[in-house]
Amino acid sequence: MRYLDFKRFSIYYDPYLIISVTLLSVLGLFFLYSASDGNSSVLIKQSVFVFFGLALMIILSQPDPQIYYSYSGFLLIISMILVLIAIFFGPEINGANRWISFGFITLQPSELCKVFLPIFIASYLYRVSLPINLKNTFLTIFLIFIVFLTVASQPDLGTAIVILLSGLYILFLAGLSWTFIGSAFAVFIISLPFLWNNFLEPFQRQRIATLFNPDLDPFGSAWNITQSKIAIGSGGIFGKGFGEGTQSHLNFLPETETDFIFAVIAEEFGLIGLTILIGLYFFIFIRCFYLSINARDRFCRLVIGGLSLVFISTLFINIGMVIGLLPVVGMPLPLISQGGSSLISFYIAFGIIISMASHKKLVPR
Amino acid sequence: MTEINETFKEKSSFNKRLIFLYLTFGILGIIFYFQIFNLQISNYSEYEIAAENNKNEEISVQPLRGIIFDRNGEILVNNVPTFDLITKPFFIDNPYDFLLKISSFLKIEKEDKEIFLAQFERAKVLNKELTLMQSISDEEKAKFLVRSHMFENAYVGKRYLRNYLHPEIFSHSIGYVGRPNEDELETLISTQGLNKKINYSYTNQLIVGKTGLEFVYEDMLKGKFGDNLRQVDARGRTIDETISSVPMSGENLYTSLDLESHKAAHKALNNRKGAVVAVDIRDGSIVTLFSSPTFPTNQLANGILKKDFDQLIESEEKPFFNRALKGRYPPASSIKPAIAIYGIEEGLIDWDFSIFDEGFFTLPEDGRIYRDWKEGGHGNTNLFKAITQSSNTYFFDLAYRSDINQLNEHLISLGFGEKACIDCFEEDKVFVPEPMWKLNKHNFGWFKGDTVNMGVGQGYLVSTPIQLVKYAYIIANKGKYSDLSLKKDLIKNEKSIQFNKFTNDDWYKLHESMINVVEGNTGTARRLKDKKSYLVAAKTGTAELVSGDNREQYVETRLDDNLRDHALIIAFGPMPNPRYAVSVVVENGESGGSVAGPVAISVLNSLLQE
Repeated sequence: MRYLDFKRFSIYYDPYLIISVTLLSVLGLFFLYSASDGNSSVLIKQSVFVFFGLALMIILSQPDPQIYYSYSGFLLIISMILVLIAIFFGPEINGANRWISFGFITLQPSELCKVFLPIFIASYLYRVSLPINLKNTFLTIFLIFIVFLTVASQPDLGTAIVILLSGLYILFLAGLSWTFIGSAFAVFIISLPFLWNNFLEPFQRQRIATLFNPDLDPFGSAWNITQSKIAIGSGGIFGKGFGEGTQSHLNFLPETETDFIFAVIAEEFGLIGLTILIGLYFFIFIRCFYLSINARDRFCRLVIGGLSLVFISTLFINIGMVIGLLPVVGMPLPLISQGGSSLISFYIAFGIIISMASHKKLVPR
Repeated sequence: MTEINETFKEKSSFNKRLIFLYLTFGILGIIFYFQIFNLQISNYSEYEIAAENNKNEEISVQPLRGIIFDRNGEILVNNVPTFDLITKPFFIDNPYDFLLKISSFLKIEKEDKEIFLAQFERAKVLNKELTLMQSISDEEKAKFLVRSHMFENAYVGKRYLRNYLHPEIFSHSIGYVGRPNEDELETLISTQGLNKKINYSYTNQLIVGKTGLEFVYEDMLKGKFGDNLRQVDARGRTIDETISSVPMSGENLYTSLDLESHKAAHKALNNRKGAVVAVDIRDGSIVTLFSSPTFPTNQLANGILKKDFDQLIESEEKPFFNRALKGRYPPASSIKPAIAIYGIEEGLIDWDFSIFDEGFFTLPEDGRIYRDWKEGGHGNTNLFKAITQSSNTYFFDLAYRSDINQLNEHLISLGFGEKACIDCFEEDKVFVPEPMWKLNKHNFGWFKGDTVNMGVGQGYLVSTPIQLVKYAYIIANKGKYSDLSLKKDLIKNEKSIQFNKFTNDDWYKLHESMINVVEGNTGTARRLKDKKSYLVAAKTGTAELVSGDNREQYVETRLDDNLRDHALIIAFGPMPNPRYAVSVVVENGESGGSVAGPVAISVLNSLLQE
């Protein structure tokens, strides 16, 4: 909505989002430094991502949203091709084919899908008349499931779930009928036992089971959650201080730099630190909500709403898992966890959000 | 117009739905925040303790046992440092690969490998250390140390061995230590507050006294465990270890045992089955407590191979059997001074009373014959001669005239059928037979002949070498005595036997007669006369294992080594003011005077040489 008008060109930006996202990223670097046991190479690598990511965010907020509307299909196809390349040609790491190696960095293309799938669906639904008819609903759902299943087959259930949600959010916001939602939900509930037995790996079932009864297997899959809860709980109000977390530094806590970094922050900075962190996230959501409500057209509304909900979902799944309310699934803490792909995809998302928020609709005079 | 309408409718629907989703997340957020609050505020202390418990381990530190000394301050048992190759199975992925890697530069015994492999899994699960090689040489140590960077999962650790400096000589008296059994472990845990993890100071890890003084004085010797606080990471690696309390070494034990006399006893017995016990007459402390054959205590204390242990257990010589405290031997003729005291006290005989010994005693009731050891007998025999020459007939006659119940009480007052020692390990108190005992045991009434047999220390009467030495000590000290003991300077009450008719003069005469056993030309131990430079009082005994009715039978039984008579002697000296009393039993040694006697003399010589 704002832009700086220099003589030749204008810079489009949203100060609230840019400042809060930058603040969160810098805070993230600080947390990561402790979570990685003061490993400076991790910090340097992540700093490079943050720096280029922020720059990319500014660059991507410059074009008119019309560009994203026009190229949404192309962007999704490119993302999907990259996902397929990862599956068939990517290096196998821990039994999964999620990555494409570029020598000095490896990227996870499925992260891009959670940005470009909702944009494509929004652009598609922008074209059709509302309310959405059954044919378009099924077409959209079909597309969502193709992307979901492709990514899930890598396997990468965490990202796949976010991708699934990202598509469904757009569908829902675009006015999917409550009757359809109700019946789909009923079908989902009925087929739950079938899904449980056929689609979940034994270790995934175990993770869900231990969520409800951690004593079931205290040294197996519940170990991570138990240790995570101990880390968070022992942080208390003020925390143990920067670099002083025993749970994280003595390796009782798993994946301290990625999935469980929230527990590290909780242990070292306590409830006060968490409240500040959550406050920052909350500010971003409220800003996105405002931008979404006041977006210039349906396409922008859907995209801003959808992308911000993807961001919220990632955050909630991560925190929910770390505090022991959701089953363990690979999910980063947005803008903080180590990992360039997740970071870059969120900067892309915010770049697009800012672009859509700061460009006014060209009204013919 | 319709388009604007539609746009408006669509927009308000969108807004509602966006609010709906945001509210859903808002509610979820409140639940999450409540959960975080719950963890960090409501249950803070619980999780704080859990985090502390995660990283802190209480480790018990094993103390060193006390040192054991002989009466002259010579060390008998101490602790010597050694180096062991210790492994951490928790950090070993494949035990076979690991052994292969170590074997490339160290020679590991097949048995050590088997033990290691057998205990590996359990040690890995419990994250306990496992000793692979004990007491490695300096060369082996150096070979490992130059390669130690390759082994995160093994190290050379300083450990102690419980070291018995004279393992073959004190195996029965001092005993040995060993790993605790389940009950002993339970006691250790409850009394010492042992933690699950222990920093061992000994190669054989936890040790407790199993037998002998090591067992009896366990509480004194064991010391007190210390505590360390160890900080570990999730893999159990030690980050830091601080001392909370230092272990307290056990108290040293000063014994009354005399090293040289044990050497003498060991040499004199020369691995024959038997026992030697000697007592210091001044205070009743035991200076020699020796049973033969012996066994090697160092191996038992620090880890013995199963096949070696089985060999010891199954040996026909029964080396583990403590003959000094548990061997049941008929006292045979050595009982005669006791019967003599009884006879004088009860007025049945005096020093002038004599009988004509024709070589046998005939029981008036049924005409049964009780033979003397000497064919043809000793002729006219008074008490002095009866003791010097060990006349059986004289004592058959005296015993025949005795009251068995009175005689029983008398023998008990001299220490028979009672525990002689207050701090000996598993002493057998045996019993003194009397009519009720026989009725219960053999379902048979008491015959007069049973009493007659007791008069020469045969029949149902049995005693242990330690009871014999106490009896000798009481005679030597004229009825005054203290309980026998092994710990030096133990405070004990002096006891004294009350006599009515048995006077100091009688004591003098009894001593004279016993001196004559050795020094007289007709004494049964006259061959000992020249083996020493002082006067000794003694009484020999030859315990028959099979009573033969005639010579032919007797000769026959002698052919079997294990049925040959036991040789016994009790002795004290130097006379007239005796310092030590000694008893010797040599199993199947046949002659008290010539077989047991020299052993007693070499022990006395060693004791008096100081």
